[in-house]
Amino acid sequence: MATELLGFEIGATSAWLVWILPFAAALIIPGIAKLSKYSTGHLSKHATGYIAIGFALMSTLSAASLIPIALEAGEIHHQIPWIESLGLKAGILADPLSIIMSNVVGWISFLILIYSTGYMKGDKDITRFWFWMMFFIGSMQLIVMSDNLLQLFFGWEGVGLASYALISFWYRDKKKDHVGTEGRTVLGMLDYYSPTHAGMKAFIMTKVGDVMMIAGMLLIFVYAGTFGLKELVGDTEWAVTMASQGLLVPAFVLLFGGAVGKSAQFPLNEWLLEAMTGPTSVSALIHAATMVKAGVFLVARLGPLVFALGAAGILANQFFEIIAWIGAITAILLATQAMVNPEIKKVLAYSTGSQIGYMMMALGVAGLSYQYVDGYTAGFFHLISHAMFKASLFMAAGAILHTVGSRFMTDMGGLRKKMKKTYAFMWAAGLGLMGAPFITTGFWSKDAIFAAVYESGNEWAMPLFAIAVFTAAITSFYTVRMMGLVFFGKTSKHIEKMEEEGHHIHEAPLSMWIPYGILAVLTIGVGLVGLSAEGGLHGLFVDFLENSYGIHTEHLIIESSILPEFLQGLNPVALGSSLAAFAIGAGLGYIFYIGRWVDPVKFVNSNIFFYAIHKFFLNRWYLNAIIYWCFVVAPLWLSRGVFRYFEKTAIDYGMNDGFQKAVGWSAKVVQGTQTGVAQSYLFVFGAGLLFVVLILLI
Amino acid sequence: MLEITSTPLVIMAILGTVGVLIPIISIARKEQGSNSFYAVIAFAALIVSIGYVGYQFINDNVAASALFSEDVLVDDAFGGFFAIAMLIVALFTTVGSFNYMRKHNSPAVYYSLILLATIGMVLVAYSTDLVMLFVAWELMSLPTYILVGFIKKNPSSNEAALKYFLFGALSSAIIVYGISIAYGLTGSTNIGEVIQGYSTLDPSFLPLALLSVGMFIAGFGFKMGLVPFHQWLPDTYEGAPPPIAALLAAGTKKVGFAAAIRIIVLGMVVLNLDWTLALGVLAVMTMTIGNIAAIMQKNLTRMLAYSSIAHAGYILIGLAVAPYSSLGLQGSLYHILNHAVMKGMAFIAIAGIVTTLAVTNLDKLQGLGRRMPITALALVISLFALAGVPPLAGFWSKLMLFGSALDAGSVVWWAPWLAIAGVLNSALSLAYYAWITRKMYFEGEREKRVKEPKSIIAIMIFSMIFLIGFGVYPEPVMQFVEFATPVLSLDLMP
Repeated sequence: MATELLGFEIGATSAWLVWILPFAAALIIPGIAKLSKYSTGHLSKHATGYIAIGFALMSTLSAASLIPIALEAGEIHHQIPWIESLGLKAGILADPLSIIMSNVVGWISFLILIYSTGYMKGDKDITRFWFWMMFFIGSMQLIVMSDNLLQLFFGWEGVGLASYALISFWYRDKKKDHVGTEGRTVLGMLDYYSPTHAGMKAFIMTKVGDVMMIAGMLLIFVYAGTFGLKELVGDTEWAVTMASQGLLVPAFVLLFGGAVGKSAQFPLNEWLLEAMTGPTSVSALIHAATMVKAGVFLVARLGPLVFALGAAGILANQFFEIIAWIGAITAILLATQAMVNPEIKKVLAYSTGSQIGYMMMALGVAGLSYQYVDGYTAGFFHLISHAMFKASLFMAAGAILHTVGSRFMTDMGGLRKKMKKTYAFMWAAGLGLMGAPFITTGFWSKDAIFAAVYESGNEWAMPLFAIAVFTAAITSFYTVRMMGLVFFGKTSKHIEKMEEEGHHIHEAPLSMWIPYGILAVLTIGVGLVGLSAEGGLHGLFVDFLENSYGIHTEHLIIESSILPEFLQGLNPVALGSSLAAFAIGAGLGYIFYIGRWVDPVKFVNSNIFFYAIHKFFLNRWYLNAIIYWCFVVAPLWLSRGVFRYFEKTAIDYGMNDGFQKAVGWSAKVVQGTQTGVAQSYLFVFGAGLLFVVLILLI
Repeated sequence: MLEITSTPLVIMAILGTVGVLIPIISIARKEQGSNSFYAVIAFAALIVSIGYVGYQFINDNVAASALFSEDVLVDDAFGGFFAIAMLIVALFTTVGSFNYMRKHNSPAVYYSLILLATIGMVLVAYSTDLVMLFVAWELMSLPTYILVGFIKKNPSSNEAALKYFLFGALSSAIIVYGISIAYGLTGSTNIGEVIQGYSTLDPSFLPLALLSVGMFIAGFGFKMGLVPFHQWLPDTYEGAPPPIAALLAAGTKKVGFAAAIRIIVLGMVVLNLDWTLALGVLAVMTMTIGNIAAIMQKNLTRMLAYSSIAHAGYILIGLAVAPYSSLGLQGSLYHILNHAVMKGMAFIAIAGIVTTLAVTNLDKLQGLGRRMPITALALVISLFALAGVPPLAGFWSKLMLFGSALDAGSVVWWAPWLAIAGVLNSALSLAYYAWITRKMYFEGEREKRVKEPKSIIAIMIFSMIFLIGFGVYPEPVMQFVEFATPVLSLDLMP
């Protein structure tokens, strides 16, 4: 008993440390930078980086020390007093979900930080970089470990703030740091973004989601009187009341709105592309570990709660339907755009949004099906495998950008002989993204999603399944396209020019290729044992859902199917579709971009239909431009109007010059008051009084 | 009878003596030009006053919040709460003026006027009699008219003072008129007795009673900067010396709320609660128009002026739902305290920028993060706190306000809409706060650091500790607020 108690204490402490350590690092980094300025030589350049990596490692090891608890499907729930007036407590909740998530976040971030030591070498604002990176990781771990929604929201806002600072990191807005093609417009809106613009865009767009989220949180708080996740599961009286007033689904949909913003789902997806203005290590962090995964995590946190309510008779199916459909729409919307974009990082960004859509789809479908755990495991497994291959892809892309000095894939080409390691690793990770059969994690997780969607057995199963498979084909296509444009074909003029000028196109340094190499190898390595990894996760979540939420999973007897021995238990239809999608997408990609049997440019221009579609995708389905017109141009115009006509005209028209000069000489003060301005103020005042009395009378 | 050691009397004695003596000493010494000696004396007087209020609280000499009393003043927690908030603002103003007043004449008069206005601000919150309240109101207003126009040679300062005065005079007249109606109807000016009189009023006099309440709302609404009584506000803040803008935005504006809370119970009886919707409508109008107009501003002072209009709207939410949710008034008081610190700090930061760089135009603030790092950081923190970004203090008070509106939703249908409007407005306001941040940090190139005034830095550091400290651990402030908030429930009425 005593050791158990002791074990509990140690466990709780390390769970706290998981998020406190990165924040601590962020706090001391500016001080270290100042100190090292006074010390000698090159130590100062690296001191902050070493501090950051050291703290990140300690935080991740704390997370790793919790793994035994996760494997037993146990949990640690530890609270300390916070705001007693409102009955709020701060706390950590380490259950299998948060422990696995914190490990994914921790290890991936750790590798990205190592990569950053190479990628950010020589940047003069390096202190600011490390500060915000650690702040970013700390906020994300805070989200993951929180035991209540309010504390989670603190981390949520921290992530938003850090992303703003990091996307705008190169605030001097140099041309090379922009994204988009200079001068290109869509519907009169410039499709060319500076880092500071992009940071602002991300901040405001995710804020829309945050506002919805806090509204949902408050709504639940008013009825439940608590923000605590455990408390919400414990006593479901609040849900009965809310459901009877028809507020349950709206409240959860509002909370999901937060996830839509952070995870860049339709219709708040557009910030993700411009977020590419940040340093590549930031992009990797946003896409693989911290920001966009926060939304998926939130859905994974709330989903079982809503499903458990459903089991208790309080149905909220619309919540899951909305999640599934938003995910499906995002998946196909962004995948189509990835097919045509010329910038390597943007292709990867579109692909992230699309893959997150898959995860959402799986988590949504889970709630609509008989066996919640199937979709749940599939979605979360895809999150893990995506974290590995996407981090690897981004870091590799960063290495290429670093060498080539251009973000356009047309400026690359033929790099496979010059960057052999990067070439190999990118193939490995890329195959993961495509879901190459049997050897990559991406295959198994995607197949699990297909199976979950196919077997969910509700009215939406078939359309969702069709979208999922079609998107998978597109994914394979654009991945091969990216590989083909970057590594195959002839060397581009840009590179020839660089070599003429004496630049040597070379492999990335050790500190850079090791991190993405590790992840690429893992993508294949875990893929080789993918089915049993998935089985393990499945079993874990069965226990977790049973223990924490009372969601019971029945052990189905697996009927033997036509599949060979090692694939028994898989759904043949899902498997077949997955293989077909891979083959078709990759095959088409090979024809155009690796074999180069058909010139894609000529092909698109040959036919008005293809041309129109190409343009439609390249212009981002016109969504971005429409959003700008409706939510930036129009409100500014309106605001200007309100200011000019409401505040200015009746009130101080012509005041700036005439009135001020008139008052300048005190003799003319009286005259100044008679310009009509003050009277008009007083008139409005009188009218206001009348207005108040009128409302009082009503 | 009030004891001679009761807080309002002691504060009046301390600040009044110093406030009157400073100019006399100055005249006796036949001084010309500037002198920071008086600032130090004023500072000391304010510190002693705060110390006394705190001492009274710690020794439990303060009664729980009572809205009514036989006397003209009551020494209760509600008054004490406002006294602390107002004295903090006065301190900010005084310390923030150290550097500013080095360049201007007659500092003795300047600091004396600040102290006198502070007495007025404190006494309004302690008043339980309409006449006392009005006297205190005028004691607060008159010095500020002069302070706004203190820079005699500056046309925009003069214009600001003039506009402010015209509006102040009108609103005072309206308040007096309201008081006279109340007196005519009930034969008393004591707030408690007026309410009793109203509750037994002959129905044929009801329209008159209604008019008096409408006049109170309009009269106080002027100081609170509620739309549509707000037009003077941006001009005045912009033209006034920046530390005085802090006094107006963070101080006198809040006194309007103190007076409104003391008096608002009148309306509750007379109008059978219908006034709450009026306040709700005013709240939404105020915050929306304030925020929309703020987006378009090119001048930092004006932008913050509109933002403080918007914040009056948030605070008004709490008043509007006060009868339906116990959190309402608590949220209002809490936000008043937070806003006093946040806005006071922001305006003092501007005072620092104006004294060192002489710019307030947003475009000229480029690279402020490198030129004045501490001031810029503090300004950013205050702006994010204003927007309600966790974990800063402003988040909690907004949470409480919006929560109270949702809570009241079970009684009145429109209350949740106030919360929705509030949340949307907060998000909207982030747009221009983030814009300022972007200007200060993400624009410009290699600016040199300039020397920041020490007095301003002191305020900045104090406020940052306040905002972050009470943001991460708000419990003590919340308990204080809970203690200071009068219980305003339907069955409390006499």
